[in-house]
Amino acid sequence: MADHHVVIDNLVKTYPGAQKPSVDHVSFSLPRGEMLALLGPSGCGKTTILRMIAGLIAPTSGAIRLEGRDVSSIAVYKRNLGMVFQAYALFPHMTVAQNVSFGLEMRKVSRAEREERVRKALDLVKLTGLGDRKVNQLSGGQQQRAAIARSLVIEPELLLLDEPLSNLDAKLRDEMRDEIRDIQARTGVTAIFVTHDQDEALSMADRLAVMSAGRLEQVGTPREIFDRPQTEFVASFIGAGTFFEGRVAEPGLAVVEGLKPLRFVGEAPVGSMVKLMIRPHRLVLAGSSGLPNSFTGTVEHIVYRGQMLTLNVRCGGRLLQADLPTHAGVLPEKGSEVTLAVAPQDVTLVGQVAP
Amino acid sequence: MSAAALPAAGASSANASRGVLLMLLLPGLVALVITFLLPLIWLFRASFASSTMGAFSGGDWTVQSYSAVLFDPFYWRVAWNTLVLGFNVAIFAVILSYPIALFLVRTESRFRGVLTALAVAPLLTSSVVRTYGWMVILGDRGVINSTLQSLSLTGGVIRLTNNSFGATVALIEILMPYAILAMLSGFGRLNPQLEEAAAMLGANRVKVFTRIILPLSAPGVLTAALLVFVLAISSFVTPRLMGGGRVFVLGTEVFNEATVTLNWPLAAALSVMLLILFSSIILLYQRALRALET
Repeated sequence: MADHHVVIDNLVKTYPGAQKPSVDHVSFSLPRGEMLALLGPSGCGKTTILRMIAGLIAPTSGAIRLEGRDVSSIAVYKRNLGMVFQAYALFPHMTVAQNVSFGLEMRKVSRAEREERVRKALDLVKLTGLGDRKVNQLSGGQQQRAAIARSLVIEPELLLLDEPLSNLDAKLRDEMRDEIRDIQARTGVTAIFVTHDQDEALSMADRLAVMSAGRLEQVGTPREIFDRPQTEFVASFIGAGTFFEGRVAEPGLAVVEGLKPLRFVGEAPVGSMVKLMIRPHRLVLAGSSGLPNSFTGTVEHIVYRGQMLTLNVRCGGRLLQADLPTHAGVLPEKGSEVTLAVAPQDVTLVGQVAP
Repeated sequence: MSAAALPAAGASSANASRGVLLMLLLPGLVALVITFLLPLIWLFRASFASSTMGAFSGGDWTVQSYSAVLFDPFYWRVAWNTLVLGFNVAIFAVILSYPIALFLVRTESRFRGVLTALAVAPLLTSSVVRTYGWMVILGDRGVINSTLQSLSLTGGVIRLTNNSFGATVALIEILMPYAILAMLSGFGRLNPQLEEAAAMLGANRVKVFTRIILPLSAPGVLTAALLVFVLAISSFVTPRLMGGGRVFVLGTEVFNEATVTLNWPLAAALSVMLLILFSSIILLYQRALRALET
């Protein structure tokens, strides 16, 4: 942890008069140049964490370390962090160039150098030549770019982005997603962004920190989070899946009511109740797959999605969701009986159930 | 889009909505013509009439009232007094109201509504009553003078009323609620997030104020200043009561000419000149506002 660029250490925020903390002992860290997504439903405390790092609100306890130095008591205007606000917060009484130049003026950078750096920053975000525009003459995507240029021109220790894509329409969102990722990679700035959109988080971030109700649920690469969710919340918040509760009969084997025993991979004491999850796309038609876990049931609902066929299979009193590739041979029809199978490593242990 | 696809239907619906708009405007327009435009025309006509005691004889046209005003240094001094009073009142009312309005716009207190109502509550009482209040405070035997004397801080009476100082002080207080209201509605561009953005970029509190809050609130300040100025230069009750007959402004002179001297054409001419003063100030204001907002 010591060599990490940004370290968030046991951060707590309890608002006055609140029953429980909005942010509850959250710790994570980022190496230099990493992009981390703070992901969670609204009200989970992710924006509060971002604003504490920024210095816009004071933590109740805990530390925020940049290069090993605790900055949690340093005034916001001395922290040298870049922030892109959700609504961009561009100054409406200034031109684009004046907006970008503002942070440099505050740092008493000479006029010649300011002009040079503003020009470079505008080039970086592809706003070349638009410096003299008024802010309200820019489109939403251009405003976003201007806000990014303004926060990067000061060469911040850390770039913070608050729901960076939420104010853009769908087409622009995909474009800006790649753009932000590209700019971050080119400048090598360490970045944290807040989002409630799992696709955004999975596709943009090097690592994700998933939050729920003020607590950190899991930190990991997109792959780890998606394929190996450690808690039921993470499993259900990111991606779809079917959940089972079962009792561990022997290591790696759980008995689930109404189904054949399920083989899974993961450590759980024999006799305990566990929660297991299967992603829809991990299920295959049993046929000759030879996989140990199989489910036989009736197709209750079917949705054709081009590359994918989504089935709801009624099996032992519960609904199992499966996504089958449409090139998978003879496809089941509604009302027919089907046998699906899944490998033990695709039955994910997502938590213990309290007895 | 539908207008482009169906130009004929679009045009006729635009015509229809214009008709509805005109109908909606009509009652207000009629009321304005009767209560504002016609009296104004009558006033304009009266200012060119020859002076007859307490009456207005139609028929003849003369510029005698205007020449009486323009060639009399007294009226030039009155006009100057009026402008000085207006500027002083506008400047101090705006300076005193600005922090209040800024607080009311920015506070997250749940009493914000109550506080706003309190700030403008003085409008519920007559300005005559409030002027008398100021006479009690500033008078020769008023609160301030008697306190100072009982503490033996001053030998004699400090003259705070019956002069333009008293009139200015009372007008500032009386017009402050208008300034606060004008600023509250003019501070729409203020946004706490802009201040946060400036702070993130390295601006301390002073810089945030001078570079962000002040420029963004300038249009509201300007509107408030204009409103207070116009109300101050057209006031006559407060300057008359607080001035004790020693403060001569255009408002009091119009009143004098119309009701005491009974020289209606002269009163009308003075009113027209006040109107010209207003119009030029409003033109200046609009130019300044445009400069601020572009």
